[in-house]
Formats: sequence, C-alpha cells, structure tokens
Amino acid sequence: MRDVRGDVIRRQLNADHAVSVGRVRSICGYLINAETPSETIAQRVDDLFADPIIEHGATNTILLTTDTFSETPDAVITVGFKPGVTDNPGKAATDGYLTLFPTDGEAKIATYLTYAFYGLPVDCDVTWLAGTLHNTLIERALMAGRDECQHHSWPEITFPTPPEQVFIEPQPVDLECDDASLEAISNDGLLALNLNEMHAIQAHYRDASIRAQRKAMNISPDAPTDVELECLAQTWSEHCKHKIFASKIHHVDHETGEDTIVDSLFKTHIMKPTHDMQEDVDWLLSVFHDNSGVIAWDDTWSVCMKAETHNSPSALDPYGGAMTGIVGVNRDILGTGLGARPIANTDVFCFGPPDWEGQLPENLFHPSRVLRGVHAGVRVGGNESGIPTVNGAIVFDDRYIGKPLVYCGTVGIMPRHLPDGRPSHVKTPVAGDIVYMVGGRVGYDGIHGATFSSLELTEESPSSAVQIGDPITQKKMIDMVLEARDANLITCITDNGAGGLSSSIGEMAEYTNGCEIDLAKVPLKQAGLSPWEILVSESQERMTIAVRPDDQGAFEALAALHEVEATAVATFTSTGMFHVRYNESTVAYLPIEFLHEGVPQLELESEWTPPVQESFVPPTSADHAALLEGMLQRPNIASKETWVRQYDHEVIAQTAIKPFVGVERDGPGDAGVIAPIHGDPHGLVISCGIAPRYSDIDAGAMAAASIDEAVRNAVCVGLDVDKMAGLDNFCWPDPIESVKTPDGRFKLAQLVRANRELERVCRAYRLPCVSGKDSMKNDYGTGEHKISIPPTLLFSLFGDHPDVRKSATSDFKFAGDKIYLVGSSKQELGASELAYMMVESGRAAGIGGQVPQLPHPEQNLATYRALSTSIRAGWVRTAHDCSEGGLAIALAEMCIGGRIGAAVDIDGSGEGDVWGRLWGESLGRFVVAVSPQHEAAFLAAMKGHPTTVLGEVVADNNLTITDGDDALVSMDVDTMATVWKGTLDLTGGVV
Amino acid sequence: MKPKVAVLFGFGINCDHETKAVFELVGAHAERIHVNRFVSGEASLEAYDILAVPGGFSFGDHLGSGRLLGNRMRFAMRDALMAFVNAGKPIIGICNGFQVLVKTGLLPGPEQGASPDFIQRGSLTLNDSGRYEDRWVTLEFDPESPCIWTKGMSRIECPVRHGEGKYVMPTAEDLDRLSSNHQLTVRYVDPTTPVGSGLSDEPLSYPLSPNGSMRNIAGICDSTGLVFGLMPHPEAIYARWLHPTHTRQDGDTHGPSLDGWEGAGLQLFRNAVEYVQQRS
Repeated sequence: MRDVRGDVIRRQLNADHAVSVGRVRSICGYLINAETPSETIAQRVDDLFADPIIEHGATNTILLTTDTFSETPDAVITVGFKPGVTDNPGKAATDGYLTLFPTDGEAKIATYLTYAFYGLPVDCDVTWLAGTLHNTLIERALMAGRDECQHHSWPEITFPTPPEQVFIEPQPVDLECDDASLEAISNDGLLALNLNEMHAIQAHYRDASIRAQRKAMNISPDAPTDVELECLAQTWSEHCKHKIFASKIHHVDHETGEDTIVDSLFKTHIMKPTHDMQEDVDWLLSVFHDNSGVIAWDDTWSVCMKAETHNSPSALDPYGGAMTGIVGVNRDILGTGLGARPIANTDVFCFGPPDWEGQLPENLFHPSRVLRGVHAGVRVGGNESGIPTVNGAIVFDDRYIGKPLVYCGTVGIMPRHLPDGRPSHVKTPVAGDIVYMVGGRVGYDGIHGATFSSLELTEESPSSAVQIGDPITQKKMIDMVLEARDANLITCITDNGAGGLSSSIGEMAEYTNGCEIDLAKVPLKQAGLSPWEILVSESQERMTIAVRPDDQGAFEALAALHEVEATAVATFTSTGMFHVRYNESTVAYLPIEFLHEGVPQLELESEWTPPVQESFVPPTSADHAALLEGMLQRPNIASKETWVRQYDHEVIAQTAIKPFVGVERDGPGDAGVIAPIHGDPHGLVISCGIAPRYSDIDAGAMAAASIDEAVRNAVCVGLDVDKMAGLDNFCWPDPIESVKTPDGRFKLAQLVRANRELERVCRAYRLPCVSGKDSMKNDYGTGEHKISIPPTLLFSLFGDHPDVRKSATSDFKFAGDKIYLVGSSKQELGASELAYMMVESGRAAGIGGQVPQLPHPEQNLATYRALSTSIRAGWVRTAHDCSEGGLAIALAEMCIGGRIGAAVDIDGSGEGDVWGRLWGESLGRFVVAVSPQHEAAFLAAMKGHPTTVLGEVVADNNLTITDGDDALVSMDVDTMATVWKGTLDLTGGVV
Repeated sequence: MKPKVAVLFGFGINCDHETKAVFELVGAHAERIHVNRFVSGEASLEAYDILAVPGGFSFGDHLGSGRLLGNRMRFAMRDALMAFVNAGKPIIGICNGFQVLVKTGLLPGPEQGASPDFIQRGSLTLNDSGRYEDRWVTLEFDPESPCIWTKGMSRIECPVRHGEGKYVMPTAEDLDRLSSNHQLTVRYVDPTTPVGSGLSDEPLSYPLSPNGSMRNIAGICDSTGLVFGLMPHPEAIYARWLHPTHTRQDGDTHGPSLDGWEGAGLQLFRNAVEYVQQRS
C-alpha cells in the first residue's frame, strides 16, 4: 500500500524547496492517558487506531523498531502539539475510545505524527527539515538525524500536560496615578486602551454615586477590578468598537483646499446611505446592528451575509488562524436574528508572492507557507462544516508579506418566521431569560485576541492569541442550535467571538438592560482560570443563547442528544448593570451604558496630498503575444484551480454556477450562484471585488473599482440589479499619526477618500451596505523596516437571481457566436497589472498615470440592468468581467474556458491607444458572446448602452487579436491554458 | 405507498438536507434523524423502509474517514442494522456514508446468503494525489450488477468531493470475487469511450480516476444488491442546473420531474423508492 501522507511531504519539499527525497513514511501516534490496562487497549487497536486493511498497529512499541520499518531511515521527525493547543484528532480519538471503553470516562488522548525519511540529501539539515514540518508557536518537534537513526535512538514524545493555571482572586487596579502610569497599566496589561480612554475609566471610578453603588455591592468602590478593566478593554477595543470609523476626523485636502470635519465615517458614509435606501425598498430587514445583515429573499425565506478578517492570527499560525476565521464567521451567521443556517462561504486572501526570493523579516513565514497554511485552515474549516465555498479570490503583492489578509465570508438562510410566528430576524429576550453558553469550553488558549488584533504584529506577539478551530464541535452545535430555533426555544443568540463572554453577554444585555453572570458556572478546559480570564477568553466554538426558564428542560435535552455542552451561566435583568459574580462575590459591576457608550470618541487628523508615482509609459512597440503569455502567468491572473478545487464548492446540492466553468471545468467563474431550496431554481448570487493596488494612486479609486467589480461579476451571471446588498470589509494600515506612524494623516486621508467613493458609488448603484468590518492595524515592524499593506477594501455582494437556469458563464460556447464589448475602454493603465509587470521586469519606470475611474455610475447601472436582463432572457449565455489584465486577459480566459478560439478586432472599442484598449483596466466593461439567433434581441436590449462588436468565436482553437490592420496577438488556446494553469500549481505533482 | 427513508445526521454528516430532498423528489417520505435517536432507542430503524448514510465529515474523518461513526453504528446499532439488512431493505452510503458502510463491514459484506458479520474487508484511503478535491467525474454502471439502486443506469456525470476515496482490498482475489458477483457496481470511466464500454480494470490516469482506486472502483454493493455505497455524489446532480456546463446545453431536457430539468443522478434514488413500492 502506498503511504500517501508521507508522500505528500516528499512532494511539498520538492515543490517549495527543491529538496529531493527518496521516500517518506508516516506513523500516526496516539498517547493515551487512561485507566484501562494497555493490554486491553492493545486488543482493540484495529477497532479504532489502525485500519486493519491498510495499516499496521502496535501498542507500547515504537513502530520504527518493528519489521514494518526494516530499513533504517536517514532521519525521523516526530511532531506533536504543545500543551494546551487544540488537538482535534486527539479529541476525536478520545470520543472513539469512549465508544469502546465507555466506563473510562477520564481518558484523554493526544496525537502526534512521525515521519521517516529515506534517501535524504546528505546536506539536508534535520533541524531545518523539522522547521518545515511544524510551527514552533503551537507544535513541538523531536528528531533523530543520521547518527541517531544508525543507533536506533528514536524520538519518544510524551503526553502534553498543560502547566497548572493559578487561580488569582480579582484584584482592584489603582488608577489614581499619573498619565505615564496609566499608559503603563494599559501597555503592560495588553489592554490597548489609550490615555483618553484610561482617563474616562478613571473618571468613572471617581464618581461619588458610582462609588456608593459599588460599596453597596461589596466591590472595590474607587477602583476597577482586573475583571472590569479587562472587560472594558475588550468592549472598547478597536476590534469591537471600530473607534477609527467612529472618530471625529479633521480632513484637509491639499489638492482642493478642502478643510472639514467628518463626524464618524461609518455613520456618514455607510450607515446613512443604507438607511436612506431602506426607505425605498421593503427587503432590507436588518442592517448593521446584528451579527450579519439580513434581506428578504422571498416571502418564506430571508438571507444574510457577513465577512470577517483574521489577519493577525493567520500571520502567526496560518492554519489555525485561518480556520478560526472561517468557523468564526459561520457563527456570526448562526448568531443572526434567532439563528440562520450557514449555506455558503467566500474566501478572499491577500498574500506576498508565492515565489518570493527576497529577504523575509524575522518571525514572518515565507508567503508560500502562509498560502499553504491559510488555504488548509479554510479548506478544513469549510469542508468539515459542510458549507460550500462558492466564491473568492487570491491577490498577491509584496507588502502582504508583512501581514496576510484573510477575509472569510458566510451566507446564511432562515425562514422569515419561526413556527410560533416570531420574525426570525428579531431577537426577543426579556429580563428573566436564562443565558446559556453552548458548545466548546473556555480555556487559556483564547485570551486577548480582540485587543491583540488591535495592536500591530511584533516579534513578541503572544501565542495565546492563536487558536485552532474545531469544526466538528461547531458542526454539532450548529445542528443543535437550528433544531432549538425551529422548536421556538431561542429568544436571543449571539456568537462568542472577540471579547468572549464579556462581549457576547454584554452586547445581548443591552436588549433587556442588564444581566447577572456567574463565572464559576462556566465549564473550563482546565481548572485554575482566573475570573477575568474566564470572562474575556475567546475560546472557539461557543454560542451564547437565551431561553425562557420554562424551556430550559427541552433545551438541555436537545443539547444532550447532540452531545453538545450547554451550561446556564447568566440571567438577563433590567437593572441597568453588567453584573458579574464568581460564586457569591461580585467581581464586576458596570453600568451597561458606560460599558457600551462610555468610550470617548477619537479625534484624528487627515491630510490628503496625492502620492507621487512615476508614470507608466508603455514601450513604443511590443510583442503583445509575448506580453499575453507573461500576463497569464502573473500570480494575480494565473489560475487558482489547485487551491480552489480543494474547497467543497457543491455540498448542499445548490451551486448552479461554480468557481469552475467551461468544457474542461477550469475556466473562471465570475460569481457564485446557488439555488438553496431544493427543487426550486430561485437563486442567489454571491460575488466580490478587490483592487488594492489602485490605492497606490488613489484609495478612493480603489474603493470604487472594488464595488464596481463585485457588481460586474454578479451581473455576468444574471443578477437582478434591483435587489442586491453589499458588505464592506476595510483592511488598512494604522491610520493614526504617531511616532510609529509618521504618515498617519495620509493613510487616514486614504480612508476618508475610500469612504466617500463607497457612498457615491453605492448610492448610484442603489446598493445598500448591510454589514461590514474593519481591521486597522495591518503593519509589521517599525521605522525603515516597517511594512504596511496597501489599503484594501473587499466588497462582497449578495443579490437575487430569479431563475438560475437563465445564467451566463465566461466560457466561449460555440463557433459563430458574436463577441461584444459592453462598456468602453479608456486610456487607464495606472496601477494596472501590465504596469506592475513591466516595472518589475525593468521595462517601464513607474506604475503611475490614470487609474480607472467611475465618473457616471448611474449610467453604468442602467447598462448593467440591460445586460443582466438580456442574460435572464436567455439571449446571452456567455459573459465575463473585464478587469485585471484588461480585454486581452478576459478574452484569453474565455477561450480557455470554452477550449475554442476567437477572432477579435479591438478597433473602435474605446478612446485609448492600443495599450489602453488591450491592457487597460477601465471599469464598467464586460465581454459577452451571443449566438446569431439571439443577436438582434440582444442589440435591441442594449440600445443606448455602449456595445461594440469585437469579433466572433472561431473553431480553430486560436485567439487572434488585431487592431484594424495591425496584428497584435495570435495564440493557441491550449498553450494559453498550460501557462495560465502552471504558475500557482505548486503541488509537486500528483504521483 | 410512500416509502419512509431515514436519513442519518449528526457528528459532522453534512449532506443530510439534500439527501432528504432527493428522496422526496422521487416520492418518498424522508426524515433527517440524528444517529443518537437510533442509538438511544427513541427512534426505531425498523419503522423505515430505506436507510441513507449521507456524505460529510463525521468526526472530522480523524482516525480514518468513516471510522468513528462506523464504530458507533457497528457497536450501538448492530442488531437494528442486522435486522434491517436481513429484512431486505435498501441502504445507501454516499461519500462519507460509503466510508462508514465499508468500515462497519456492511460493504462489501460476507459471501452470498450470509447475514452481515460486521467484518471490515476493504478500505477507503487517501487519494493518490494526497488532496481533497471537488471535481466532476464520469461514472459507468455494471449492467449486470445485482444492485437495485442502479438498475437501468448506464453512465452519469457527477462530482466527487473527497480526500479519502481510494478503494482498496488486501488481495486481487478479493476484488475478483466482487467482480464475478458484479458487486463492482460503479466505476470511473474515460468520458471519450462509447457509453457501455468504459468499464476497465486498468487504473485510469488522474484525474479521470480522481483517487487511484483499485480497478477504478467508485462504488460497490453487497451480495444482495440492496446495500450500496459510492464515493461520488449522485444527489449533487438531482437537477440539471447543477451541472457545470448547463449554460452550454440549451434545449436539453431530461427526466419526468423538474420541468425537464431533472438531473441524471435522481434516477438512482427513484430506483430504490420504486423497488420498495413494488415489493410491498
């Protein structure tokens, strides 16, 4: 039998490091800590730990000493988890063990993997090799080199017992000190509270009535307890309160002379436009205030969507960080209204170039390793949860080496009304309801995530902020929660994410104006956690759910059936207080209003001067076919098939337009389309847009391009443009001016411009933003070594598709179909993919110039409506968005999808020169193909909209592009497919 | 008569909704039932006519796909499963469900005429590629198979979505025995071969065979033809709008349901439902 697990290691060493190893064999190890005698366990090895058909099993024996491993390896490496790190296979093994030995209730099993290397190159260092196989933050490795192997001195790993936690009684923290000491308290405690905020807290505890109130509760009257201070730090963190988006900004524009105050970017540019639109439509059910935005999809069902980022954790542990990202956003959906069912995921990643050969700053992983780890985490999280990944993108830029961006989105569905008639999008708790913590337990592993993500990444970043998700525990919980919802048992539900119980119960307590929590009731992963740790730990896979006292029995029975832990830990009150006890003693007593409204508004400075970029000047003549070959291999354009194919994009049997289209099912899908109600072709479109490099010229243009791209992608498959909603996810470098960030004013001005464009374009498109998120500290290092990401807006879109049978895909279909450009090309090559390629290869001096603009979005919307109507009429079966790499790349991808040629003349397709028309990235453009039979109807529908015939689909398997009499490109379709699919393969082959 | 179908769920099974839906589309009454309802005795398997073990990642596939759920069934539902099989009622396992049935020993099961003995005879292991993949494959059915699920079906396209789909048995004789009984019900084939002549023992290249399965096996049945399991997902092509190239196929119609938009996979479920209806 073949050892595929070992062979994958061999192939990856070859693909990532060009290290050629003869053979790698693997051993799955289980360390069992139990009462049952090992002889008894040994008799059941083949029932649980080893597959009798394909594996050898042994107990209390190092397999390397047995006949199974008769040949002596050159190196042996054993990798296991560090104590306290989530070990999912170990948890499953324990569960399986209890099936066999049900009385051995305290049994614990930990897992490890051992790899034996044969034919290892002599110069291959074993310590280096071990480094490629484990992450020192969460794993430990033991190794045997050549000598040890010769002497049969094998690694022996021991059970990872976590160090004892020391329970510390809540302590008052004296804030009657000078400013420097206040700042030290915040910094040393990883609280991420600024001086103003520390002053606000100090003032609270100086209030005489507060002191009297506290005295009566027998809690330190004039100083916060550590529990309270931690709770405030979590609740007031940038992550939870979005203080930059809520800040008062003094904005100066040196281009226009504008000097103005913006009071909250969020309220001004995101919330207000959506609320204005809410007056015109009846389908915006719930916006901004819940865990995701909800729209009515039809009379029976509503749908919701949320996207999150998990950047800092993914930088530290790409696998665990990304996995907690995806399963975390699934919980946002589960925590929407009275509980929605997650039915589709989206994943958008921004990484450094996978072939990076330059210097790597200390403590940062190589981009290819980040890519592998993030991808694996999201793959496992999504696939194991049974949620299809229907849409996404992977973007590359050098600056994402400093901080990868990991956007995870989820779409949910719920019946508009529950069986008892309550609208599902409205939470209905009342004082007296019992609050349960459901799912996983609380551990030391999740402490300080929210405040940590509001700090920038340094070499000393704490490892306790890293967690590994447990999709199966969560899946069980999702199954259970949805049954509880349908049994009318839930009055309120929210996710335990950032800030842990302090945030989840704290936020829900706003509904009834109070709560009383007993931290001693909270089930722990290990004993000894102190009260503040229990309150703020962000251990995963937990929901907070309120039920009526009468329903407790039914709720607990359901939890028991699903083998999900559910513990009553709090009660809603109407006292106005966030009251936390540990057994009988009060450890926190904070007014709800102060907790949620007490954070002082930031006041920030913003100053816009356009960045100076050397203009991109294309060469006077060029071989456009050679350029096309080069562009197809650019990581930003190349096929992502290897990676996307590993996501289940079809579970639930609803995905009507998949990430892959065309005859060989490898052409790019523009947007995902799902028909979630089985038997009914009513659909939902899910798309995204992202264009970070336009920020190098203007972050406003970047934002407009992102939104336009998301809409165009959705139009390509037949979206009803009159029912679409958006999500804005901003990832920015720190925009607050400071010693560390001398250019903070400029970065804030970029944010102001992006928000203004967001409002302008969304209003024009009648596209309400219903949910969003921001991540504002995406920097690494300091001074000249500082790396700041390009300001990046991911715009996600979900909208209606009345009938998925009337969709279009990007693959060219049949010879003779007419090819049209919808929209018009302008001379817009600034920050284009072509410009970056030419600069990187030394053929141009700069990427500057005219970045794509969106001057008349209202006209665009009318064109989009005409095109999507034509698609839904069945006249257009082929449509593709024209974006990175311009028309040339769009055409190439359409030929690849159809494995068929096209003859195209770009003369008359716009006002630009040949470079602008072939490679420019002007917005508002599509390439479509129409069969001769439907051409007249299509042209009639497009009357008044820019629609230019480009040529036709041809049978000869060759893409030819001319500009009038000038031949530009002639390229074989199979050649294009090969180069386009090669760059990001990175698998090391399949055999 | 509407046959009653028990669709298992819980512990990471995740194709339960669509598996229920496809049975209902072909006239059955299907219920999603948590494994523990059978284990506790709260629900009785006897009350059902068909058992479906859907796809998913039960227990995260840790310790081998299907192993832990297989154990729960093997140890806690043994008598009920034995009675169900002996009563001649159809069982299907799809993807993870197939893995579960193989690990419980229900597939391929013992020699003809013997009761289930819950001894594992084959296994499903890591794809040769080492990767979980979602890709469409072409399947062909053995027309002489006793399998009641695949009667009259010749060739379909549907997706595989697995990382451990390589079917293996210890010896060639084991496979020969199944082959001679026509228990190698469904196999991966090269779509360029004429329909009806694609079946081959020679391993196909990747990705025509997505996992390197012995003899290109995609699914097998037990000696009675009532218990059937396969790695690919026929329920994922219950409607033609789920086919990856449906935008290229204007004018095609298929099947009696969904306004001519029935997908090729639905017949498999209809076969079992009709089998139960004809038997009663």
